[in-house]
Amino acid sequence: MTASRVKWAGLAVVLLLAAYLPYMVGPFYISLATQALFFGLFALSINLISGFGGMITLGHAGLMGVAGYGLAILSVNEGWGLAAAIVGALVATVLVSAFFALLVVRTRGTYFVMVTLAEGMVIWGIALRWSELTGGENGIPGVPKPDFADAYWQFYYLVLVVVAVCTVLIALLVRSPFGLGLKGVRDAEDRLAPLGYNAAVHKLIAFTISGFFAGVAGLLLAMYNSFIGPSDVFFLASAEGLLMSILGGIGTVSGAFAGAAVVVIVTNWVSTYVDRWQTLLGVVFVLVVLFAPDGIAGAWQRHVWEPLKRRLGRGAPAPAPAAATETRPREEVRS
Amino acid sequence: MSTEEFQLQLLNGVTFGALLFLVASGFTLIFGLMRIVNLAQGSLYLLGGYVGLSTVRATGSFWLALLAGAAAVGLAGLIVERGLLRTVRGKPMSEILLTVGLSFIVADLALATWGGDPVTLEAPPGLDTSTGVFGITYPTFRLAVLALGAIVAIGLWYLLERTRVGAMVRAGVDDRETAAALGINVGAVFTGVFVLGALLAGLAGVVGGAYLSLFPGADAEILTYSLVVVVLGGLGSLRGAIAGSLLVALIYTFGQSLVPDLAYFVLFAPMALILIFRPQGLFGRAG
Repeated sequence: MTASRVKWAGLAVVLLLAAYLPYMVGPFYISLATQALFFGLFALSINLISGFGGMITLGHAGLMGVAGYGLAILSVNEGWGLAAAIVGALVATVLVSAFFALLVVRTRGTYFVMVTLAEGMVIWGIALRWSELTGGENGIPGVPKPDFADAYWQFYYLVLVVVAVCTVLIALLVRSPFGLGLKGVRDAEDRLAPLGYNAAVHKLIAFTISGFFAGVAGLLLAMYNSFIGPSDVFFLASAEGLLMSILGGIGTVSGAFAGAAVVVIVTNWVSTYVDRWQTLLGVVFVLVVLFAPDGIAGAWQRHVWEPLKRRLGRGAPAPAPAAATETRPREEVRS
Repeated sequence: MSTEEFQLQLLNGVTFGALLFLVASGFTLIFGLMRIVNLAQGSLYLLGGYVGLSTVRATGSFWLALLAGAAAVGLAGLIVERGLLRTVRGKPMSEILLTVGLSFIVADLALATWGGDPVTLEAPPGLDTSTGVFGITYPTFRLAVLALGAIVAIGLWYLLERTRVGAMVRAGVDDRETAAALGINVGAVFTGVFVLGALLAGLAGVVGGAYLSLFPGADAEILTYSLVVVVLGGLGSLRGAIAGSLLVALIYTFGQSLVPDLAYFVLFAPMALILIFRPQGLFGRAG
């Protein structure tokens, strides 16, 4: 068996397990899994620009929220049908993402982080203060789910399918020539122009696509909670998304879901035993940055996958630890 | 808007600008020298405010609170710089993420300690009255905030431009390696600047607790203002922090009185314009 076959077999097992999950565990764990899936998609959307493009964003919950609020406003306040509201919300998200992208493409590194943070907080400000539109502090309750996904397990399957499709699309995108160009932005932005790449356009498109997927996650979030409110788009929500993506292993597809699972478990399950779970998240954040910058996926690569690959032998000769370090976000050179 | 209303909003804008400057100057100072974007600056502000609150409750003195808030947060800054940031020096992204992790922790512990209800500090006796300015009566405390902002601005300018320590700091900003080779203890200068930046945030927290109010989320709100300030003014520039603070505060106050629902959105407009036409900020250096 070659290494790539092991990978495909592993993926098949994970998918089968995911599909079979509602037959094995009760509603509580299904709700955890549902959240891990759509937050995983959210983390993956952050990963698309932060991991593969090297641009750390701290405002993505804002984009997630544009979709969530869009759905809530159009369906609850304006009385649109669900399908039309979903389309409208996604169009709004793409437009806002493109606008935000226009503002950040000329910045890089630390400036990029600050501007995305400010962008996200503007959405939060609107969510909190423009009560007529957004319900202010009370948010908008009563966000509908599709009729066929009313029961918790039906909704789980809906989320599973949507997230799986989005994940495949993102994985294809990352492996496409466009994805390679994106890695070029991360690794050597200044060298792209002589090669005929336009880095700014690349960043713009990547940011907008990333915003779209964050929007899909936002729709699922609003449906899952039957609610959207200011705390869903707050700075800490953006930071949590980034934590998921770093914790899992930034720049990897599977890591986003691993990271999301850990954060969801801490916020939902550990929180029933420990009051200060948010402090715990912060401590995890600090520890990951200090000791495991390549996250769970990095540790997996180093300690499980690479040794396994070597043992299997017949796979491609392993360029051992490089795989883990390659995927780290680019650290800018300091003057 | 009547003339009187206009004057009132103008005063509100300028005094609020002075408060923003206290936070943003620390932020920009830390960045200017260390190239660290301290996203915990808002948390330090909130922490300072809450320490001030506890001090007022214990002693009844606002002045003691001012001292305690600044000192406690300065100490926190020392621990953070020596204990955490030093270990990831030279990796800007790790530094940013560390400060984000810290803001999680501070926000949660502050909520556990001081609760979730908004609280306000009383202005100290002598400043809790009103003063006539241009024919309108205006809270004396807010004028005092303006004076404090001016004093801090002049003090920082003097420190950076006219003293030996300031020369070391500027040398460190321009060329760290040469400065170190000349025998300047860059590490100590770094720590000093970070502590000073934290101290200013703590001071601003106590003042802000009396000017605005303290509540969970005030940290992120004040951080957002600071970010817009430095994006407008140019990161690392003292003049930029002054101009940016005044601009942001004026836009916000007038925005809030004219289009209250969209005050945040109005704040965003100048930032968008700056980013499109002058990404390095009004006073920032290109590149």
